[in-house]
Amino acid sequence: MAIALERPRVAAARLKRSRLRRRVGAVLTWVGVAAALVFFLAPFFWIVTTSLKGNEDFFAYPPVWIPLDASLKHYVGLFTRSSGARYFTNSMVISSLSMLAALVVSLPTAYSIARWRFGGGLLSTLLLVLRMLPAIALIIPVYIMYKLLGLTNSYLGLVMLYTVVYIPFAVWLLVGFLRDFPIEIEEAAMIDGCSRLGSLVRVVVPIIAPGMAVVALFAFIATWNEFLFAVVLTGIETKTMMVLVTSFTSGGTDMFYGEASASVVLGVLPAFAVAFMLQRYLVKGLALGGTKG
Amino acid sequence: MRVSAFPLKRKQWEPFAFASPSLFLIALVILFPLAYSFYLSLQNFDLAVGPERDFVGAKNYVEALFKDGRFLGSIWNTAVIIAPSLVCELLLGLGLALLLGRMTRGRPIVTALLAIPAMVSPVMAAMAWRMMFGVKYGAINNLGRQLGILDVYFDWFATPALSIASVVLVEVWHNTPFMMLVLLAGLQSIPQELYESARVDGASPWQSFWSITLPLLKFTMAVGVMIRLIDLTKLFGLIFVLTFGGPGSSTETVAFTTYLVGFKDFRMSYAAALSYVIVGGVLVLTLLFMWIQRAREARAA
Repeated sequence: MAIALERPRVAAARLKRSRLRRRVGAVLTWVGVAAALVFFLAPFFWIVTTSLKGNEDFFAYPPVWIPLDASLKHYVGLFTRSSGARYFTNSMVISSLSMLAALVVSLPTAYSIARWRFGGGLLSTLLLVLRMLPAIALIIPVYIMYKLLGLTNSYLGLVMLYTVVYIPFAVWLLVGFLRDFPIEIEEAAMIDGCSRLGSLVRVVVPIIAPGMAVVALFAFIATWNEFLFAVVLTGIETKTMMVLVTSFTSGGTDMFYGEASASVVLGVLPAFAVAFMLQRYLVKGLALGGTKG
Repeated sequence: MRVSAFPLKRKQWEPFAFASPSLFLIALVILFPLAYSFYLSLQNFDLAVGPERDFVGAKNYVEALFKDGRFLGSIWNTAVIIAPSLVCELLLGLGLALLLGRMTRGRPIVTALLAIPAMVSPVMAAMAWRMMFGVKYGAINNLGRQLGILDVYFDWFATPALSIASVVLVEVWHNTPFMMLVLLAGLQSIPQELYESARVDGASPWQSFWSITLPLLKFTMAVGVMIRLIDLTKLFGLIFVLTFGGPGSSTETVAFTTYLVGFKDFRMSYAAALSYVIVGGVLVLTLLFMWIQRAREARAA
């Protein structure tokens, strides 16, 4: 009788303990996540607040964590005094052109691989090796050739280089999207008299457009972020944001300059946008293209 | 793979025609320069001396691999930066992936927020951290003083060891999110039933971690580590902004040393030879990577 009474009580206690453990687990999870968020977002917090501070707040102790008299004057200064507008436009133009060119050139190649297994294992090995190729190995001969051809300090030279460098990445991602595309729809179009190229442009492209947008955004951000080619090949007129930012480092270890932080904020904006828009594809995009160098 | 049901209409030249634009461009802009670079590496072309050049055979390679203390030192530096970075990125990334896997609410938004550093360019990451590390006006020193942890203005790049530690910290901040995303994807592909049956059999969470999660995540971890390892051999932008190779040449990586030889000393032939030494190393790692992937596919099949 006593044992029979005891049993539900023990069970209830055990249930309570497991519920408690689960709750403690949930709290600990949140503590860990919060700590990670602080660590990974703190630098962004610091550059954003720094870019909004007044000049005397840079030197203040205790430091000004949240500027009360926030203003956009450093952004204005960046755009007017430091030619930020020009370099921001350069980055935009170069990244957009490279993105479009890489997409146009890569699509038929990806189609050829997805539909006809063109190149077989050899081509996919070549693409992998090209993806792993260190940029420093390419920039030395390209610099000498561009010097001879007069392509340094030009949009064309940089756009051509970026386009080709991101072909392996774009082809790889596009092959994935094309393999998911039902071949029957294409065959129906071809029965109706469409050519291969016609069916690719008129039937396949509209349907895989979202996939192409993913590739385009990754190619855009990869070009936007690229530094080694840009620092070697650009001159005073064609500098990109990445090159502009490094010009602020001459201030020694203490770079409190508002314009420097403002340029960093502008430089990381696309990364924020892409991280949220392409969440599902981040693993693939980073593994295949990554932010090199 | 489905094959087209139109064997008669298929034209033999079509696959090649479709692939030719990018193959042509790759040959023109990547393969031809690389071949030229190899030819260059066998000469003594030095832009600082003049346009004349001679064929010198393997002299540049002999110098790079046996005599050039600076380059050999940079190989060592690169390894010293890579090893702790990889360990920290793997452990932290695994921890974060496990944490995110436990989250019941808000996981997508937290994942996106944590992924941002990996999308930022190395140059921007390094700039943001340079402002954090600033001696007098940086966030870290000032926070340390406010909390009473630091009582002096600390220079985070004062000594070679500190400099390397600071570079590793920024690199870990920059690329742990990548590892986290890869491992999270790997975690989510493990069937939940395995954990349930382990629990029914009375396994503790610790036991199921060791005998389910880790073995099934092994290949994912290997692939993530290999990708990071190969990309870390190219470490350049971070160094350029954070330390510019200093103090002394203690944080000069192979890519950075090659850059200095090529675009500061203008010894183009020697820089080409150095870059080919790097390419050789990367090729070996890439073969290892392909071997791991093949092993994974064989295991999956």
